[in-house]
Amino acid sequence: MSLVAALTLPPEASAAPSETAAKPSSIVVWAMGMEGTLMRRMASRFEAENPGIKVVVQAIPWDAAHEKLVTAVVADITPDVTQMGTTWMPEFQNMGVLEPLDAYAVGAPDVAPDRFFSGALTPTLFGGRRYGVPWYVDTRVVYYRKDLAAAAGYPVFPKTWEKFHSLCVELVRRNSRPGQPTFAFTLPINDWQFLLMFLWQNGGEILPAGPDGDVFGPGALEGTLSYLKSFFDDNLSPREANRNNSSINLLNLFESGYLPIFVSGPTLLSELQHYKPQLAGKWATAALPASKASVSFVGGSDLVVFKNSRRKPEAWRFIRFLSRPENQVLWYGISKDLPAVKAAWNDPVLASDPLLAPFKTHLENAKSPPPILAWEEVAEVLSRVMEEVMYGRTPVDQARARYTAQIRRILAKPAAKQSATFRFLATTGLFVLPLLFLVYYFLGGPKAKATGKYQPVAFWFLLPSLSVLSVFLFLPVIATFIASLTNLNLYGLNDLSRVAYVGIENYARLFRDPVFLVSLRNTMLFATLGVPLNIALSLCMALALNREFLRWKAFFRIAYFIPVITTMVAVAMIWRWLYNPVYGLFNIALAKFGIGPRDWLTNPRLALPSLVLMALWKGFGYNTIIFFAALQSIPKSLYESVAIDGAGVWQQFRYVTLPMLRRTMFFVVIMTTIGYLQFFAEPYIMTAGGPLYATMSVVLWMYLQGFKFYNLGYASAMSYVLFSIIFMLTLFQRKMHDRFEGAAG
Amino acid sequence: MNSVNRVGPAQKIAFYAFLFVSVTLTLFPFIWMLSTSVKGSDEIFTRTPTVIPRHWTWQHYRDLFSALDMARHLFNSVVYAVGTTVFSVLFNAMSGYAFAKLRFPGREKLFTLLLVTMMVPGQVTMMPVFMILKHLHLLNTYTGLILPGTAAVFAIFMLRQFMMEIPEEILEAARVDGCSEAMIFFKIMLPLCRPIIATLVIFTFIGSWNEFLWPLIIMLREDRYTLPVALANLNGQYFTDWGLLMAGAVIVVIPAIAVFLMAQKHYIQGIAAGSVKE
Repeated sequence: MSLVAALTLPPEASAAPSETAAKPSSIVVWAMGMEGTLMRRMASRFEAENPGIKVVVQAIPWDAAHEKLVTAVVADITPDVTQMGTTWMPEFQNMGVLEPLDAYAVGAPDVAPDRFFSGALTPTLFGGRRYGVPWYVDTRVVYYRKDLAAAAGYPVFPKTWEKFHSLCVELVRRNSRPGQPTFAFTLPINDWQFLLMFLWQNGGEILPAGPDGDVFGPGALEGTLSYLKSFFDDNLSPREANRNNSSINLLNLFESGYLPIFVSGPTLLSELQHYKPQLAGKWATAALPASKASVSFVGGSDLVVFKNSRRKPEAWRFIRFLSRPENQVLWYGISKDLPAVKAAWNDPVLASDPLLAPFKTHLENAKSPPPILAWEEVAEVLSRVMEEVMYGRTPVDQARARYTAQIRRILAKPAAKQSATFRFLATTGLFVLPLLFLVYYFLGGPKAKATGKYQPVAFWFLLPSLSVLSVFLFLPVIATFIASLTNLNLYGLNDLSRVAYVGIENYARLFRDPVFLVSLRNTMLFATLGVPLNIALSLCMALALNREFLRWKAFFRIAYFIPVITTMVAVAMIWRWLYNPVYGLFNIALAKFGIGPRDWLTNPRLALPSLVLMALWKGFGYNTIIFFAALQSIPKSLYESVAIDGAGVWQQFRYVTLPMLRRTMFFVVIMTTIGYLQFFAEPYIMTAGGPLYATMSVVLWMYLQGFKFYNLGYASAMSYVLFSIIFMLTLFQRKMHDRFEGAAG
Repeated sequence: MNSVNRVGPAQKIAFYAFLFVSVTLTLFPFIWMLSTSVKGSDEIFTRTPTVIPRHWTWQHYRDLFSALDMARHLFNSVVYAVGTTVFSVLFNAMSGYAFAKLRFPGREKLFTLLLVTMMVPGQVTMMPVFMILKHLHLLNTYTGLILPGTAAVFAIFMLRQFMMEIPEEILEAARVDGCSEAMIFFKIMLPLCRPIIATLVIFTFIGSWNEFLWPLIIMLREDRYTLPVALANLNGQYFTDWGLLMAGAVIVVIPAIAVFLMAQKHYIQGIAAGSVKE
């Protein structure tokens, strides 16, 4: 080791001896979530071994790790080393920010390509060069209830598709009780990973000849879809999207025997041991059943070095350190992440654990999705059409044509070229448009001066907020408009010369995009259902809070406001439980009235109203507080004077409260309408826009296009269409308001 | 419709019953969150969740404080939320006053322009704002974190609507007495706007207190993370320790409730009414 270490000593160190002698050179490493916190332990071991190098580990939350990496690249503030999800590799490699590592790997046998599982190595290779080193792997296996399977006559988990199906049928038959839906296998209805795993098991391939060839290989697809569909048609699997398949449902249903089989990664080992210790011994893991071969999916994380790093040799040394078999075993002990290095699996800790054996089996043959740039978008189509087939909306024999047409369209993006004219117009536009506005504004000024009294002091009152708004709102809004006329994407963001003018192409594409049209319809539905309900409820509650005889006012105010402050994570968890088809409170309550269970979130007709109800619950406290504050300013004398005239409670409300609230009402109506037209959090967390796009909203689709697929030009166009719709509605509301004002005054 | 109407005891009971039912519904997730944070991991996922834990444990809180430098993240959160609230209330109230009560050319046009920009979804402008801050060298600074949030059209709009209800006579009287506009604003307008400013303080504080994506993207070093960002780091990609997560959620929500309780005291019936009478 010492010889190798001496060979790879940082050349910079000798170039700048004064600096390194004074203090150790430090490298910055980013890792995600809990792994970031745990990696510090590995870093301190590394520092003990390499006294000259200090490792600064920054933890980045998983929820926004991709956004964080993209913004870091765009702003040129990348770390030296980062953990990177295997499916993100193509994007960042294509942005040209990753350092090829082949030169460093020369003479380092412990990181030679053949030391890693081939499924883990493939995503790091581009054009024959290595751009990353696999850190840990993540593959899917079967988790099943050993006791229940044995009772059903399967002491060993079935190895073929047919036997697996029969086991599920038998489990449902044995466990079913009247009035309680019982299932056998958790199969997410819209998950491309499951589609691919079963496709591979059936001998199929996706994009076997790269992005320019056929989308699927011959055969295989139809058989796979029919097999998957049979689990729903035979009521062996609940119609649940993968988003709803949160651990709360999964673990409870696994324990109660309603869902004795599911497919998942290694984290479920820890979850089951952590939350369900009482189940120990009753469950086991197994390799996936095979039609032609038993194949699983492999993902995980790689370690990469950024081109901008000034400490590449040190960075490389840290990566090499993490790849040593003994350190891979150590990391498994710390984090339970599965080693990507084959030799680590010979260690007794891993080799002797029977629960890990199926993972080992699958790692030898597991596959990963093809390394294409638009993978996230292709994956979205895979999941969407899968859902259509499972719900019976698209016949199995038409799925291939549907897939091919949609995926072709994604892969065949025309490469527009940037023209110098556009570049000139865009840059000047950013500065000229605000200038033009100012000129227009000040030319209109003298006229106003002549008509009204001009108070120059207004300028000072407006100065702070208008300057902030100009820089952080007006300028971005104009930039967004310019972006909507371009093909701006992830790569353009990093390198503006790759951005080209496409005219109104983005807008034209919107009206051919079926998902956008559906989302537009859903958004209108959200607003027409949600806004009146929200305003009526919050006004009622504000009036109730305003009753003079009410005691503990502070308590009630905070109680209604609590849903607004409570974190969405807790809210979503509770509401998923309320809406759970098997043991959710709503269905239990319905059963009391003799009404059968409802699929609140998975029935395409019911999902949208379910989300409106949840949003109403979460949001009414907001407007309640605004109405309440406004009610405070209505002079009591007004009520007294109409009461003397003999006006009852209703007349007081009609002739005093409502007119006095009209300005607040105007504000609340506009804000609530805008809020509902920008409906996002509830479908994002609860349904991800499903089932069958029944809850896809415009902003959610825009978010997916903008921040998942990075079609920023397209997303900007979408925001401008939404913007014009909201604008026209607000104009209409304003006209109504003016008319009302005119009639009142 | 308050003191002027007599309310019978039967009506009162029905009224309170209605309030208590609705309060139970709104408080339920909150109570569940509290209870999850103090129960053992094996008790979290039971088919019928227990509201009162069978075994109480502070383990999740101990884990939380040993996993994170809570004081540091709390400090960052307080700087961000208080800074945003103070400056945003001041700046927006000034603008609101100008739009409601001062005369200047193009007032209505400018206000309409503001309303229009409010309709652009925030997700769209995040990337350009980030780039602008980069060019201003404000990344990883508290200024960069706070500044973009100190002007909000919705707050200007809300304040303007409220200020328009305040009778012009009060201001005219002050002007006749020789008050400058600044004095009118600070000495008369702001006190009269107490209920709406309290509301705005609550909204702004809680909005920035709970914000996740923005502080994450602006702050480059972990010791500058706010509380929600630091807490999100406790999640694995798939594995979630719910006890720990809920303990964190409770710690985040307590200061928000405290601010609410402090601010809501300013909803004093009759402040505005009293001064309007004259």
